Amino acid sequence: MSVSSPPAPSARLTARERRTRFWQMVQLMPIMAILVLLFGGALVLAILQSLGFAPWFGVNTFPDFSYFGALWGSSTFWASLGLTLYYATVSTVLALILGILLALALVKTFPSKTFYKYLYKLPLMIPYTVGIALAVLMLSNGGMLSRLAAFFGMIDDPSQFPQILKTHYGWGIIAVYVWKQTPFITLAVYAVLLGIGRETEEAAAILGASRRTIFFRVTLPQILPGVVSSTLICFAFNVGAFEAPFILGGGFPDTLPVVAWRYFNDADYTLQLQGMATVVSIGLVAGVILFGYLAAYRRYERRMGRN
Amino acid sequence: MTKVQLNAVRKQFGAFVAIENIDLDIESGELVALLGPSGCGKTTTLRMIAGLERPSAGAILFDGKDVSEQPVQDRNVGMVFQRYALFPHMTVEKNVTFGLSVRGTPREEIGARLEEILDVVQLTQFRHRFPAQLSGGQMQRVAIARTLITKPSVLMMDEPLANLDTKLRGEMRRFIRDLQQRFGITTIFVTHDQVEAMELADRVAVIFNGHLAQYDAPAKLYQQPASLDVADFMGASNIVPGRMKSDDLVETAIGEIRVAPRAGFETGKDVQVMLRGEAVDLLTDPPAQGGVAGRVVARDFFGASVNYSVDCGTHQITVSEQARRLVDVGTSVRLNIDPERVWLL
Ligand SMILES: Nc1ncnc2c1ncn2[C@@H]1O[C@H](COP(=O)(O)OP(=O)(O)OP(=O)(O)O)[C@@H](O)[C@H]1O
Ligand SMILES: [Mg+2]
Repeated sequence: MSVSSPPAPSARLTARERRTRFWQMVQLMPIMAILVLLFGGALVLAILQSLGFAPWFGVNTFPDFSYFGALWGSSTFWASLGLTLYYATVSTVLALILGILLALALVKTFPSKTFYKYLYKLPLMIPYTVGIALAVLMLSNGGMLSRLAAFFGMIDDPSQFPQILKTHYGWGIIAVYVWKQTPFITLAVYAVLLGIGRETEEAAAILGASRRTIFFRVTLPQILPGVVSSTLICFAFNVGAFEAPFILGGGFPDTLPVVAWRYFNDADYTLQLQGMATVVSIGLVAGVILFGYLAAYRRYERRMGRN
Repeated sequence: MTKVQLNAVRKQFGAFVAIENIDLDIESGELVALLGPSGCGKTTTLRMIAGLERPSAGAILFDGKDVSEQPVQDRNVGMVFQRYALFPHMTVEKNVTFGLSVRGTPREEIGARLEEILDVVQLTQFRHRFPAQLSGGQMQRVAIARTLITKPSVLMMDEPLANLDTKLRGEMRRFIRDLQQRFGITTIFVTHDQVEAMELADRVAVIFNGHLAQYDAPAKLYQQPASLDVADFMGASNIVPGRMKSDDLVETAIGEIRVAPRAGFETGKDVQVMLRGEAVDLLTDPPAQGGVAGRVVARDFFGASVNYSVDCGTHQITVSEQARRLVDVGTSVRLNIDPERVWLL
């Protein structure tokens, strides 16, 4: 059965509506100005520079695509990009799985729950650099784990401990990201879980659904907003983060932020422009991926009748 | 279909006792209302029957078999939650078929049963909508359809009418009663509205503070409550203290009232006399004696019926009758009370 649609609102605005719009714009001005100047300005500068506009270095070949050409033409760029995305994706996915499990556990009642609710947030308050230092202390050859393994006779000497840090598998980097971001995702998902309550899960159980079915067909779709927003933030951070891959990574080929840093730090300051091209590339890649992710999620939301 | 029994069921949350030794027998195909004030343990009782909560002591039997250890999924019960608990990310259709699809029912059968139930609850035209796009009454019908389609042997409803307006409430009551009779499902219905309980239920279980105060047919509960608390909760307004003068006469502050003799109420016993407003006749052309003398002090007109407050000295008695005539405030009257309809507590 079709329902007759209401008459379409006329495209012409009344004088009153126009006035309201105008005042809305005026009220938005200050924040818009800051946004445009700070973010827009920096972005425009970065793009200009990567296209050869840097008179302050005595370089001005604008518009010049050679920096991008050189960058995208080399195979190491693609290797770096692959590594960057690999670390970012694996750690986001791992943190997501752990975060969801933790959040699901936290909505249950168990003894000394309050204590655990504080405990899991601890990494949120500790800076990344401390986390990296902890990773070095714990995971390196000669670190705590290797010594313990040697002490309990699992290996003869700490140096025989399997290499965790400074490999291109990036277990150290991933460990730091996961350690730091699991609580963040837990927090986001936990809040959403509290909001949706237990009733739909109980209703599903009464209707005969197993625990697995309940999770995948009832709980997960409902916590999706929390999942999407928190993984978006984590992934964006992981793509652009510099310290962890710099200290814990496996060296050449480096991740893109480290590559950019090396360009910026080079004695030859004209390489700054190459660095800018790298930074803009990171931005492009991250932007495309995040936009695609959001667009897919929006499509799903719309299919569900949410606007 | 299924007979439900609660044997000495008790539920504790930590040190707090929510349900204290409740015994309840619900016959197969019966519609029972759980009635009681907020926080008395109605929802908890329902959740234990459903298997969402495990009794701290006692047993719950379905057709004589103990189900206390049986997980929720295997009990084949249905529950309509107070706030419906629809799956917000599924259309009406998906919500309704969820129970069948997780049980692995063949696709053709799901389709057929879906059409049937959508027709019963009159939701066919809303089948592709999401819960957020439905009205309260429509959501409730989805919740009921989602439960009924699985053919539960016990149907539970937790205040399903609480959020509806008066008209929709009446419609939904008739609708539920209809369905329940059509399918003959053992139904347990939670409410804190005594009118709703009396209108819908075969029997009503009144619960106070985790205790079962009375379990009887609506008429019995209304006319012959087991205690003052129950009488009060069932809306009894005319309760007058007195003393048995003989086994069929009570001496009260408003005069002598003739009653039907009853075991346990011997001469000299202190009693409470309950008079239902509609069981009292208001005589404006008073005989010289007999009955209770009084004066009309207030009149509340409801259209079809009318309530009078009659001042009888120490107490005011409320009398209600059909509005075939109107007695003016200030009129001297006599109250004639049928001894069979006086209830002693
Ligand atoms: N999970 C729980 N933990 C602790 N106490 C609880 C829990 N669930 C219920 N209670 C307590 O048990 C008592 C009975 O609760 P219940 O939900 O059964 O009340 P109810 O009769 O359904 O009330 P209402 O009409 O307000 O819904 C209440 O005092 C409530 O605070
Ligand atoms: Mg309740």
